[in-house]
Order: sequence, then structure tokens, then C-alpha cells
Amino acid sequence: MSENSKNSGTKPNNGAVDNLEKEFKEHSVAEFFKKNKQMIGLYGKIRTLTMVVHEYVTNSLDACEETGILPNIDVKIDELGDEYYEVTVTDNGPGISLDNVGRAFGKLLAGTKFHRMMQSRGQQGIGASGCTMLSQMTTGKASKIITGQDGHKPIALELVIDPKLNEPKISNVKELDKEFRGTSVQAKFKGCLYRDSDQGALEYLRRTAIANPHAQISFRDPLGQKTVFKRTHNVLPERPTEIKPHPKGTTIDDVLTYCKTTKGRTVASFLNNDFDRMGAKGIEEIRKRVKFDLNKDPKLLTWEEAEEIVKAFKVINVIAPSTDALRPIGEEQIGKSLQNIVQPEFLTVLTRKPTVYAGGYPFQVEIAIAYGGGAGKKVGDQTSMDIMRFANRVPLLFDNGNCALTKAIQSIDWKRYDIKDPSTAPVTVFVNFISVHIPYTGAGKQAIADEEEVLEEIRLALMQTGRKAGIYIAQKRRSFENQQKRLMFYKYIPEVCKALSAITNENEENLKKKMEQMVLEKLKIDEKKEEEERKKAEKTIANDDNSFIAKKPKKEEQKKKSKK
Amino acid sequence: MAKKEKRKATTAETDSPKHIADRIKKSAEKMVKQINNLEDPEFTTMQRGKSNVIWDEKKGFLELGNKEVTRTFLNIAHARKFMQTTMIMEKTRNYLEHNKTASIREIYYELKHTVADTKENTFEEQSESDTIIVDLEHSVDTIREKLNLHANPKGTLYGDITLLDRMHNNDKFNASKLGRGGWSIMSRVEPEEIEIVDSSAEYLLVCETEAIYERLIEEGYPKKNNCILIGIGGQAARGARRLIHRIHNELELPTIVFTDGDPYGWYIYSVVKQGSMALAAHSEFMSVPDAKYVGMTMDDIEDYQLEMVTERMSEGDIKRAKEMLAYPWFQNKEWQAQLKKSVEKKVRVEQQALANKRLDFVATHYLPEKIRNKNFLP
Repeated sequence: MSENSKNSGTKPNNGAVDNLEKEFKEHSVAEFFKKNKQMIGLYGKIRTLTMVVHEYVTNSLDACEETGILPNIDVKIDELGDEYYEVTVTDNGPGISLDNVGRAFGKLLAGTKFHRMMQSRGQQGIGASGCTMLSQMTTGKASKIITGQDGHKPIALELVIDPKLNEPKISNVKELDKEFRGTSVQAKFKGCLYRDSDQGALEYLRRTAIANPHAQISFRDPLGQKTVFKRTHNVLPERPTEIKPHPKGTTIDDVLTYCKTTKGRTVASFLNNDFDRMGAKGIEEIRKRVKFDLNKDPKLLTWEEAEEIVKAFKVINVIAPSTDALRPIGEEQIGKSLQNIVQPEFLTVLTRKPTVYAGGYPFQVEIAIAYGGGAGKKVGDQTSMDIMRFANRVPLLFDNGNCALTKAIQSIDWKRYDIKDPSTAPVTVFVNFISVHIPYTGAGKQAIADEEEVLEEIRLALMQTGRKAGIYIAQKRRSFENQQKRLMFYKYIPEVCKALSAITNENEENLKKKMEQMVLEKLKIDEKKEEEERKKAEKTIANDDNSFIAKKPKKEEQKKKSKK
Repeated sequence: MAKKEKRKATTAETDSPKHIADRIKKSAEKMVKQINNLEDPEFTTMQRGKSNVIWDEKKGFLELGNKEVTRTFLNIAHARKFMQTTMIMEKTRNYLEHNKTASIREIYYELKHTVADTKENTFEEQSESDTIIVDLEHSVDTIREKLNLHANPKGTLYGDITLLDRMHNNDKFNASKLGRGGWSIMSRVEPEEIEIVDSSAEYLLVCETEAIYERLIEEGYPKKNNCILIGIGGQAARGARRLIHRIHNELELPTIVFTDGDPYGWYIYSVVKQGSMALAAHSEFMSVPDAKYVGMTMDDIEDYQLEMVTERMSEGDIKRAKEMLAYPWFQNKEWQAQLKKSVEKKVRVEQQALANKRLDFVATHYLPEKIRNKNFLP
């Protein structure tokens, strides 16, 4: 406004406005970030460190996958002082050229993912640069980066962000005389805390490894403890493809956003080019329903006109969205990695067919239920149901209660699947929610909003897998109960025999043997029934490719134990 | 019914320690035989509790029906009890063989230990062994005392009655010459142990509370009224009931019962008179169907102007009164009236409420008057 009055002309000074806008925008992004880091999930001492690891690891995974490299990622956390840590993440990715390194680590909101309709790990690209920002804000130190590309000498450099300009400042660039391909980032953070807890980096990496069986991830904690999550699948996931937004899931705001960047010269061609499943027939339907001319320049679309389009979208018939863009992990891969990392006794996995929420966003759900062995959350002697939530393979560790995935799991009547009390059950429930657009509840990206279709789809998947798990658990419970029964009878035998022998002078040892034989014979009848049921259950599960029963210790061993 | 005929407890020739020990042995031998045949061993006893208690109106006491229960080892719910049963069988047979007696608390402690390789005890509480003891009594068709077991003695005897203790130097003593406390009633008062020699008393007065028992002695009531006095201290113990039964029958003395005026007190009276559900099998040797009830009654409240010293009945009291209204042995108009009145007024009146008149009122007025006028409830 002041610009206008200063120039006193009707034509604004375009160059000045552009500059101001640019400055204003860049200024605000970095400053905004500085003031609102909690909005992007960087709050809480433990959470902050986990989120830093998340941002770097996500970058590494993406870089590797985009260039067809099986990821090897190495994470180290060192404690430098009180609430003072250094995080080092090294990958075997393609490396970054000096020209691009600033953009990758030193410019907020520089990502290319924000307006792409594509399944991806991140959605706002605030990640690694956010960490650079956080590091310099809390310690005043630059982030150290070493990166090497094939055929080039690796370079080392230091990097900070100018918060006013939202521009990277690179210094101390050195060429290193060694062989290295990949990227290593090292940054220091204050005011955070490392804990080996549910929300710590180790658990985050464990879950990342589960959801990314093609990646090998190693971790060294501040105490020097090293953990390696081995790769269980040697094939990279297929890259997701970009898709156009589907009319049914589009809002007025979306239409106005898309129309700014369209190559279409008319609204009709904009609809045709920029939306999924919009052909001539669909455009005709829209033409009938809007009051303005579809030959209009889409860049000049008004709010009211966009509203008319969205209203029309709602009522016309459109083919369901294409689900080509979704890349589930796959039943086999989830199975392998859970067996490798969780090591349960029993496991069943299900990848549901893709479907759509809010009318237009394709999504897909993958569920696994693991039982016994290493499954479940173990705190001291207590084991409870462990819920592992993922969105596009990214573990969600926080905001558990707000998440649709948790709500769906909690809404299940687990008793029907022979899980009497989830709070004491050795069960791990794995849920991966896959979509081109994850409906997060907040910028922290830790909880999924409870869209009705999403809840229902997860519930269906849980019920389907729950039934299989229930068959196994019920069978196991029965055999456990039988065992308990035998032990219970056995423990009273000595006293009974001692007393009866004292009264009748019958040989005590003989009596004992006879009684044990008697108990076994009685239980044999029960066991026979149980055995039949077990066989039936195992057959059901064996016929199912997505369920696995861990190999049990040999029966002889068990017998030896019980004899003692 | 055939079984019923068989149940003829405590006749001298079948009830010697040797006989009972043999019955226990027989039962154990049967179990051993079953085990050797790889059959589930069984222990059979009489079902107790309301469902197997019969009110015999003609005889005037409660009897145990002939429903049996069989406990087997190979039953999750029975296994532990089965073990406990064999242990009690062994121990009591041992007592009988070695002529030892023990209190039911002693046998509990004697048998209590950890079951090998478990954290479980053979008996966790005395109530567990107590139940098994009653099971065994009924199974081998005898009473606890004949298993050489006894409960803690409870109850006191005072007045002109001469007893002979065959188990203790044949001591002969008169219960009016043992000081103010009288004679402490043993839990075993069978004729072969305690002989009733003679008495000049005209009736037997059974008194619920020890306090009134002491009051009556202090006032010289037994001597002045020529009666024997038994204080039972709440619910009558087996020894006291057996002794009341014997005095009533052997000395042919009328028995008059004096309790608090509430459902609990009235039930105490009914146990003395008609027997208890728990020991229905032994009613024949313990009950006194001819006993009369002198008080306290609901009518006493008005007759003796005790309105000011009544107490409110608790919810439990009211519930108890309602249950008792339904018992067949309370189906006479007098007791129905008492119970209904108590439920209606929700008040109870204690024996000691009579002290409101004067300390000696109970001894000088209340009892002499009511007994003289035969102002009794049946």
C-alpha cells in the first residue's frame, strides 16, 4: 500500500514489489521457523533429537532410492555435554554437488515435494535445513558436511543459514584426498536429550528398518552401544510416480493453487491437463453446471468460480482415482523384516487393495500382527501391545493418542481374536498408511487425522489379520492350558501318595508312578482333541502365504525340561 | 433311603476309635485300588448346606438329607481339596492309632507346609482344613470328637450338677462349687469322658451372653431358683450343645433359652433347639426339640417399657430376619410374628437392656416372672 502512495501512479513499480515480496517471503520462512519450531515437531528434548535423526535419515533414504542405490545408513550420536549432542548421519547415496548442497541443507521450504501429488516420505521439505537452522540456533555452530559423487573427489564444507535471507552460507570448502561416495552430515544440538526409550532414536531406526527392508541401518548410541539392522530385501522399492489430483478430493483452495501453475490456456484445458480422470465427457458435465465460460484463462479464475467447479466436481461421475502412484512395502517384505527384527513366534501380514479417502486421495493400508517371541512392548517383566505406526514407511513415534491408526487399533474388540487384554498381550501391530497425501493432524507429522474411510479400512484390515492371529493364539492358549493342567495335577501327587501310602502301606513310589500315568492318560484324551484342533489351525495358517509360524524348539527339549 | 438307614452315627459298637480308623483306612484303600487301575480316585461325603437339609417336623430337628457328593482327583476344581482330604485322613487316623487328640487349629498347623516345587501351601487358612474335617466326619459317618479332634472349647456351666471326668483321675465335682466362673465346658463331653452323676436342679437355663450368665450368678439366681445355668457366649459350640442335649435328656430337665431379642439371638435358640444346617447330621445328638424360649421378645419391649433402650437393626439383621421368615422350622405363628415385628420396627433389644430397670431386675423380676407364668415362645 505504501508503495502505491509513494509512486502516486496507478502502475506499481513491479520490480520493487517483487523484491519486497521475495524478501518478505524468505524473511518470514526462516524467522517463522525460528519462532515456531514446535509446529514442525521440534519440541520436547527427546523428540527433538529423534526428529533430527528422522530428517537426515529420510533425506538419505530418498537420495539413495531416487538414484537406484540400496541404502546403507550409519547414524551416530555423541554426547558432548549436558543436553548437548552431536549427530552424524552417513549414507552411501549419490552425493551432492557443491552447487546443490546449499539448497539441500541450507534453504528452508526448498523441497520439490510440496506440490507434487506423489507418495513420498516428507511432505514439506523443511527437514535437513530445519536441522541446520536448529543447530546454529542452539549452538552457534555450523553443520559439517562431507559429500562425494562418483568420479569426483569428495568435498568437506561447513554450512549455516542466513535467517534473514533464507540463504545458505558455505565456508571452509576442502577437497578431500580419499575415496568416498555418499553424504555425511554432522551437526551439534543443545537443549535436547538422548534416551533409549519408545520415542528415542534407536526405536525410530528400528522401525525405519522394519518399514524399509531394502535398507541397512546401523546406529551407535552415546554410550558406544552399536546396533545393526540388516537388510532383508535386496531389491529397491519401485519409485512412486506423480499423479494428478483427483476431482473428488479437491478443495477450492487447491483449484486456485493449481490454476496458477497450469500450462492450460483455458479453464477447460486446465481441468483436462491438471486433474486425474477428467476427459471431454467430464468437462462437458462441468460446463453444464457452471455459470462462467470454460474458455476463460485459468489464471484469472475467481474464488467464486473455483467454488462452482468444486461443487460440480462433487456431483458429476468421475472414475475412481488411479492408484498407480502408491507403493506399498509388500507382504513378503514386511514379513521378512518383522521376522528379522521383531522375531515373533507368529506373524500375519496383509496389504489391502488401494482405495480412496475424502473422495479423491488414493491410499492403501498394510497391517501385520506379530505374536509371542519378541513381539509386544516390554517394560521390565510386563509386556503390552506394541503399536508401530508408519506413514509412507516413516515411523510415527509421537502423538499416539491423536492418531487415526491408534484409534482404529483401539476400537477393535481384541477379545474376539483371543487377545484378552491388549495391555498384557505380547503383540505387535504394524500399520503402514500409504498415500500421496497423508492427512496429518499437524505440521509435526506424527498423527493421522481420523478420516472415516481411513478408520474403516484399517479396521477391516485388522479384523482380517486378527482372525488369523486369533486362530494361532487360541490354539497356543489351549496347549498352554493343557500343560498347566498337567503341572497342576502333578504338583499334588506327592502329598496324596505320601498320605495314602502312610494309611495303606502301599509303596509310595509305585503310587506316584501310577498317578502320573493316570494323569497323562486323562490328559491324552484332552490332548488328542487339542491336537486335532492344532492341526486344523496350522493347516489354515499354512495355506495362507502371509502368515508365518516361527520354528519351535524341538519337542524333545521341552520334554527334557518338564521332566526335571 | 437305604443309605439313610446306614447313616446311624455314634452308636457305641461302631464308633470306637478302632472302627473309625478302619473306616478311614477302607476309604484310602479304595482310592489306592482305583489309582492302581488308573482310575480317577474318589472321595465321597455327604452334601451339606441348605439343599441337603431336611426339617423333620415330627422329630423337631434338622436332619441331613441323603445327597452325596463325590470328589475326584482329576478335576481341576477338586485336585487341591482331594490332596487336603488325604492329608487329613492320614493325620486323624494317626491320632486315633496313637490315642492323641488335637484341636482343629493344631491339625491345621501340623499339616501346613509348602507343596514341593511350588509357592503354594497345603493349607492357606484354617478354614480350608476345617471344611475338610467336616467332610471327613460325614464321610466316615462320625463326629469330629470321635476323630480325636476338637474345636476351642466355649461355654460355661454353673449350678448344682455333679459331673465325673473319666479322662482326668475320675475327678468328681459339683459345678456350683468351682467358684463364680463355673466349669468350662470341654469340646468333648461324650459319656465315656464326662459322666453326669446327679443334680437337684429343676430346670436348665441356657444364656446367650456371658455377661448375663455372670449377672445371674452374682445375684444368686441359680441357687434361689434351683436351676442349672449354661452360658454359651454367642453361637453355641458343639461341646455346649452336646452337654445341653445330655442334661436335658439324662436328667430330664426342662431347657429354657434366654438370648438377645434379635434375629441372631433367635437363631442361636433355634440351633440349640432344632440343630444347625452345618451339623444337621448330628442334630439327633445335639438338639433339644423340647426347649422353650423365654426372651428377649419383641413383646418385652412394650411389656417392660424398654422402648428407650432398643437398638436399630442393621441391614444385615433385617436381611437375616427375612431369610429366617422363610425357614421351615420358623413356620409357626409365634415366631413369624416376632420376625415380622422386628422387620417392621427395625429394632432389636439386648438381654442387658433390662439393666435399664435395675441391675438385678433380670434375676429378681424378669426371669422369675416369665418362667413362673410360663410366658414362653415355642
